[in-house]
Amino acid sequence: MAAPSHPQPGSVRTASGREVRLAVNGRDHVLRLDGSERLSAVLRRELRLTGVKEGCLEGECGACTVLIDDLPVNACLMLAFQAEGRRITTVEGLAGPGGALSSLQQAFVDNGAVQCGYCTPGMVMAAQGLLLRNPAPDEAEIRDALAGNLCRCTGFQGIVAAVKAEAAS
Amino acid sequence: MTALRVADLTALASVLQQSGGRIDYIAGGTDLIIERQGSPWANLIVDISQTVGLDRIEADAGFLRIGAGVTIARLIEDPLIGQTAPMLARAAAQFGSAQIRNRATLGGNIAGAMPAADLLPVLKCHAVKVEIQRRSGVREVLDFDAVVLGRGQTCLGNGDLILAVHLPLAEATGRISAFVKLGPRQAVTIACLNLAALADYGMASNRLRDIRIVAGALAPVPLRMDAVEAALRDRPVNQALVEDFLHALGQAVDSAIPGRASQPLQTAGHPWPRP
Repeated sequence: MAAPSHPQPGSVRTASGREVRLAVNGRDHVLRLDGSERLSAVLRRELRLTGVKEGCLEGECGACTVLIDDLPVNACLMLAFQAEGRRITTVEGLAGPGGALSSLQQAFVDNGAVQCGYCTPGMVMAAQGLLLRNPAPDEAEIRDALAGNLCRCTGFQGIVAAVKAEAAS
Repeated sequence: MTALRVADLTALASVLQQSGGRIDYIAGGTDLIIERQGSPWANLIVDISQTVGLDRIEADAGFLRIGAGVTIARLIEDPLIGQTAPMLARAAAQFGSAQIRNRATLGGNIAGAMPAADLLPVLKCHAVKVEIQRRSGVREVLDFDAVVLGRGQTCLGNGDLILAVHLPLAEATGRISAFVKLGPRQAVTIACLNLAALADYGMASNRLRDIRIVAGALAPVPLRMDAVEAALRDRPVNQALVEDFLHALGQAVDSAIPGRASQPLQTAGHPWPRP
């Protein structure tokens, strides 16, 4: 299988539309995009950041959660050009050198918070957004922060446990 | 299609001067992007989510001026809102999910004019005025009821923009207030019924005066509950009053939505009727 082609920082993609500069996971990209393109689609298609999942496309499932200036948002409900001048973080931006998992990601593994995995990047990013603002959340705060993320396999207990474990560490 | 971001209201004015066609303003986008899945975007998309001047919360002459671009998350945390309109902060805290609250705006909730919109009963209860900039540049300050006209219907023409909400301070200061929301789920839920209440409670007299109760999701626009207010007015606050209040509320809800499937939930807090 051919490796996906990752655009180089600063690269300009040729397509019709508007030039959009996006700062994603610490790298700058210049893309040509149609003004009505959703951020989630652009992150996946143009930057191959497929950790951004598209589920419901209406802000119910949270699978597309990314951080914009450290605040969790649904990338499916934001136009890509609206993210200009903002700092975008996807789940790919959490891992360390060589793909080492962040401690929050490791807590998801250790607590059995993953089954099919589709909701996981969104859950992790929603939790990351919470912990950046509130490093010691109680369970009610964790549940509130994750209320916009749906999981259909784990039953949520492992996910809440993972975030609790990370908060306590 | 052209998509651009306006830095401030001066930049917006020059954009408006140069464009004659339909405009889609986008701020949080949490309703608009879903709506545009079934209808085409305008040829001009104007992003107002980073527009300076729409994001302020400040005390003005006799009112709190809340910028239309203020996000729901900021309504929860802002100290001025917490002091003067805690009911607005409480409604904001029950609004959508954290992700939605970080993007959705006060102005968007008004412009969307959805019957179950969480902030609208609160805004009507506070008798807010809405500051609008017409496409022509003319500014108007209108009563809430002159802005939100029906389900998805407002007084806004294409290119008109909500700039701010004016929340009167004299009628908010020292009042007691409450906001409750009833839905099929506690979090991330569309209200079947929400209620905003504001009143002047005299500790010595143990009576409520200047009562305003507004229900959302019962009618196309927020509904002032006159009969429910009458059941509370100028009577000692005790268990009998609570029972009369609940009775009046149940009757008011029944008469507003006879035959709606969710009526038992709305009147009695019962679970959904099973088929």
